[in-house]
Amino acid sequence: MPTYEPVLTKGIGELDLTDIGVYRKQGGYEQLRRAVREMEPDGVVDAVMKSNLRGRGGAGFPTGRKWSFLPKDGRPRYLVCNCDEAEPGTFKDRMLLEFTPHQIIEGIMASAYAIRAARAFIYIRGEMLEGYGIFTRALAQARAAGMVGEKICGGEWSCELVVHRGAGAYICGEETGLLNSLEGKRGEPRLKPPFPANAGLYDMPTVVNNVETLAFVPHILARGAEWFASIGPVKSPGLKIVSISGHVRKPGNYEVPLGVTIRELIFEHAGGLFDGRKVKAVQPGGGSSACLFEEHLDVAYDFDSIAAAGSMLGSGAMVVMDDTTDMLEAAFVLQRFYAHESCGQCTPCREGTHWSEAMLERLLEGHGRKIDVDLLTTVGDKIAGHSLCALGDASVPFLQSAIKRFPEEFLRGAERIPEVSLLGTTAAKLAAATR
Amino acid sequence: MALDFEALRARLQPEIDRIVAQYPQRRSALLPLVHLFQEQIGFATPEAVDFVARTCGVTPAQCESVITFYTLFYRRPIGKYNLQVCRNLSCTLRGAKEIMERFRERLGIGHLETTDDGLFSYEEVECLAACDRAPCMQVNLRFVYDLTPEMVDEMIEAMRAGAYGVEPLAQTEQPPREVRGPAWPRAARKSAGAVGVPNPNNAGGVGDEPGRMAAERFREEGVLAVSAPGRFADAETVDAMLPAPHDQTVMEGNY
Repeated sequence: MPTYEPVLTKGIGELDLTDIGVYRKQGGYEQLRRAVREMEPDGVVDAVMKSNLRGRGGAGFPTGRKWSFLPKDGRPRYLVCNCDEAEPGTFKDRMLLEFTPHQIIEGIMASAYAIRAARAFIYIRGEMLEGYGIFTRALAQARAAGMVGEKICGGEWSCELVVHRGAGAYICGEETGLLNSLEGKRGEPRLKPPFPANAGLYDMPTVVNNVETLAFVPHILARGAEWFASIGPVKSPGLKIVSISGHVRKPGNYEVPLGVTIRELIFEHAGGLFDGRKVKAVQPGGGSSACLFEEHLDVAYDFDSIAAAGSMLGSGAMVVMDDTTDMLEAAFVLQRFYAHESCGQCTPCREGTHWSEAMLERLLEGHGRKIDVDLLTTVGDKIAGHSLCALGDASVPFLQSAIKRFPEEFLRGAERIPEVSLLGTTAAKLAAATR
Repeated sequence: MALDFEALRARLQPEIDRIVAQYPQRRSALLPLVHLFQEQIGFATPEAVDFVARTCGVTPAQCESVITFYTLFYRRPIGKYNLQVCRNLSCTLRGAKEIMERFRERLGIGHLETTDDGLFSYEEVECLAACDRAPCMQVNLRFVYDLTPEMVDEMIEAMRAGAYGVEPLAQTEQPPREVRGPAWPRAARKSAGAVGVPNPNNAGGVGDEPGRMAAERFREEGVLAVSAPGRFADAETVDAMLPAPHDQTVMEGNY
């Protein structure tokens, strides 16, 4: 596979790209100027459509198609950049925010022009206070330089960009939860449909895109849709920042063409494992993705190949676990996360994540029952596909894949309790009845 | 020292106006305004909640409902150094448990607690998006990376000596031990329209005889009142507290 030079992460660690002067010397804001002064908005949409760019936030939905869903009924439209990065293992958006804020601003403004947005927003995770400060300063520079606000780049088009800080809630990364939060409400996801494209922010047509997705837009304009579409697999092309963490020598963000193998990511980019260790499990797409194992190391890292292998690419966060990892503890840590972050609106997720956490804690303390292990799988089946938003679904894959592969590690927590107990038998009957 | 909320509000008014003007609808200013006041006062005080609610066109109850949804908002005073250690997977794989144990041991407090001297609040939080530098934490939302147990000791020592490189949080009142829980110190606060009216639903708690009698009496009179603080001692006191008939708030079908 040919190598591609990184575009989003280019210059990070070498140049101070938070300064607008430095950014412009690298060709920054040239694509925004070209879009606004020389292109029709639909031209920008076409380029993104042809590039086959798929959303980098987790769902992988084609960005151009998302934009094309906006109704042409004269209502004001809004563009919202989702920088509420909180998926366990993901740290790419925070890097972009802190090191290349102007690239994000250019991406947002070019995209806002494409969809003719009345106003653009960026929702920055509450914990990213440092990134918020950096971005706010960059925005002031961009505004002074005429890149944001009135008559952008000296043209006829005007658009404001509003920075909105979250206040601590994973669920606000879900697009409708984010919109509610932006409206000053609890960040509870909305029932869909209606989709944000039709009734989003303030009930107006709205597009919500991830930071990395929008940051690619100027590069697609600069190098052409064909350039982007030619990288990697046809159906999920382009470059992707992969956040690699866990048991590797060089954890970090690596911008790679989609379609590289998981093995290459772990052993060539992230420096491999520590001496004498073996890969036990890999989460390819953040805390919400099912485990892949040693036999999957040669799977291509792109949306469709990872899905075919039984997991998902998600936000592009790879968590590597070597053979020293206790899968029961790992499952508990993640389940505790989902229980903590469940907004509580719908029963399957609110109850399911909490009871699963309780059962895992019981197993971890050695007071579990054998039936708990089966029950965990059954409860997962009752959450997945039955919750209001994707958080419920997301709480299931890791747990189920870990139990399926390493049942003995979970049963370990049940050794001390005899199987015959009232609760145990009731649960067993329940479990059998629901099969 | 009591905080002069009105003076603070007046000083912040230009910033408040700027924030509200950013949004097509003023309710959107709710989160930024709570951030603004919390930064100055240390937590969302009842006055701040009421003011933000009025500014955003919602009721104080709606405002509190929003505030309690988010983990970075505090309704009680917290420590000057808010220590938030990541407990999620990538940090766990690289030794977060050891870090958390060291903090608990050195500070003598647990998850979501504040030290008696009001200097530290401690919380174990979810993924902070710094997994490449795990285990990680935030001190007053500033990142600290690649933690070791020794760093924990040094950090605490520096903070105690006032020599740590992160500015302490505003603290206008002595914090209680528990970071979360009913808003404090608003025990004396009464909701408008229900002042002095005993709540038959929880008066004196479960099995409380005067409370039960009050409840019966209220039911007979068709009265259901909303919340009021405090227990009451006996039936006479309860009688004395009952509103005059013309003053009754009837909430049908709510019992």
